[in-house]
Amino acid sequence: MSTPLSHLIARSLMPALVVGAFALPAPIALAQQANATPPSPAEIERRKSMGGYLPERMQNPNLTSNPPRLTVTPLENIPVDKIQVPPGFKVEVWAHGIPGARMMARAANGAVFVGTRTIGRVYVVYEKDGKRTSKIVAQKLNQPNGVLMLNGSLYIAAINRVFRYDNIEANLENIPEPLEMTKDFNLPPDAHHNWKFLAYGPDKKIYFQVGSPCNLCEINPGVHGQIRRYNIDGTGMEIVARGVRNSVGFDFHPKTGELWFTDNGRDWAGEVGFEEELNRVPADKIGGHFGFPYCHANGQPDPDIKVPNPCANVILPVTTLGAHAAALGMRFYTGKMYPAEYQGAVLLARHGSWNKTERNGYDVLRVNATPDGKDAKITPFVTGFMDKASNTYWGRPTDVMQLPDGSMLISDEEQGAIYRVSYGK
Amino acid sequence: MTQGLTTRWTLIQRVFFLLLIAAAGPAAAQLKGDPERGATQAKTCVACHGRTGRGPMSGVPALSGQQSEFITIQLILIREGLRDIPDMTGMLKDFKDQDLADIGAFFSRMEPFSPRGSRDDARFSAGAELSKIMGCGSCHMKDYVGQRQVPRITNQREEYLAKTLTAYRDNKRSGVDTSMNAVMYKTTDADIAALAHYLAHQK
Repeated sequence: MSTPLSHLIARSLMPALVVGAFALPAPIALAQQANATPPSPAEIERRKSMGGYLPERMQNPNLTSNPPRLTVTPLENIPVDKIQVPPGFKVEVWAHGIPGARMMARAANGAVFVGTRTIGRVYVVYEKDGKRTSKIVAQKLNQPNGVLMLNGSLYIAAINRVFRYDNIEANLENIPEPLEMTKDFNLPPDAHHNWKFLAYGPDKKIYFQVGSPCNLCEINPGVHGQIRRYNIDGTGMEIVARGVRNSVGFDFHPKTGELWFTDNGRDWAGEVGFEEELNRVPADKIGGHFGFPYCHANGQPDPDIKVPNPCANVILPVTTLGAHAAALGMRFYTGKMYPAEYQGAVLLARHGSWNKTERNGYDVLRVNATPDGKDAKITPFVTGFMDKASNTYWGRPTDVMQLPDGSMLISDEEQGAIYRVSYGK
Repeated sequence: MTQGLTTRWTLIQRVFFLLLIAAAGPAAAQLKGDPERGATQAKTCVACHGRTGRGPMSGVPALSGQQSEFITIQLILIREGLRDIPDMTGMLKDFKDQDLADIGAFFSRMEPFSPRGSRDDARFSAGAELSKIMGCGSCHMKDYVGQRQVPRITNQREEYLAKTLTAYRDNKRSGVDTSMNAVMYKTTDADIAALAHYLAHQK
């Protein structure tokens, strides 16, 4: 242990005047004295740099992460009638009975693959004998959030493991053994903030994020806090964005081809900070820095890890997206079904807060902005998953994906369901 | 004087917390377990974990007084092969979600385990300091009894606590989410030993 004994004794003699906001009654035995004594500044600094630091002012059992639901919700128990959409839109349950449903990828003939986190499965939703059904494609994986369809192959990313299932759609009744590509991509093993999101760029590269392995810590910028791109065989890695804390959604602008991504701000810093972000990587700033861990949201310095000029040369967001709201899956809308104001807009799912006493998010937003990321305007699109008055939620929108007819699918991790939102007749 | 003031504040804060928790309410209904059914379902569990949920085997965790929601979720993870416990492989394959919720309810009602072994004051104090800085009590509650999916981390075997914390640090286990991987990132073996000692020796 790094704390010298003399130091411990010195502190044990200190009067218990300086008690934290939630300290126990004044000490009698040594055991309780240890509880009441303020931690040493040196220990606090050591913890700050390595993560796992929780300021005493923030400690509150009501700010604990939401428990995942790992069991099937029967169709009749999904309160789909509570979902609200703008006039002219319609919502239906498109798939259900797939606990933990998160990121989605669609194959050419319509099969939709669905990644998860805690339950470790990848599902497929597909037509069988004229009926939509679902089954497990892969299981026993550590947080297989990332799914991508490319050239008829399904790619699954589970933290640092990568698998490829060739010609998957023709083999849904007898899923073949995958080709494991873990070594080819050589991703770090850290689990936290590393459930992957996968995308295929107009530059014919596969994009992965490698998030920060902590809420807040000094990261190795050569490894963590990045969005990377690779050739599809895992060669030619390049860092596309740096200082990215925890992105779980990106897409490419339909006109410019530039990468836009959501990123989630640090926790344990209060009710209002730090907001999630919608970011853009300008074509001339590939590899640019987005601020973590020194600069958050719209240019706010971190209160715990302090450096000079924390926001210098940081690419600021197109817009912020609310505190603790957890903006995850996003896609540019390019379909013909929705009204004009949706064309080219970003649709993004906000999974909803946990590190905030008054819940925030739990919806799908539309963000309209110019191709160079100016004049961002946010409009609620799909809501009703949360009840403000009772401060409770029943659904957690996680990803959005456009179907060929221009309707959108929305995955709900809480209900293990996928909804389809259509417009018009 | 100081003591009286502190005590009063603590009381007010505790009441305030309870109100906050009550106001927030349950997020979404999870499966509710039946401890009576659980007693039957748990017949195979007690061989190692003990009829009292605090069996004598080293390295086998005490389950008595554990949060039922935590037990249920972990049993699902073990059944699904996501938490690899060689001695339990295949044991849960025929258990339905409801059975596992019943087992969770069964063990959660039992009297918590009291670890044996003498206390090392220096290690205990170091663990107390770390717990305060890392905020263990924020999710696991001030007295470390846990809540919902967050486990009780006192009334547990010291060696099991140390093994579990090491597994989180080394990304060998993720739990319901990865927050413990984040908390334990870069933590040293000495830190883990101090934390486990401190948590196991709560009164």
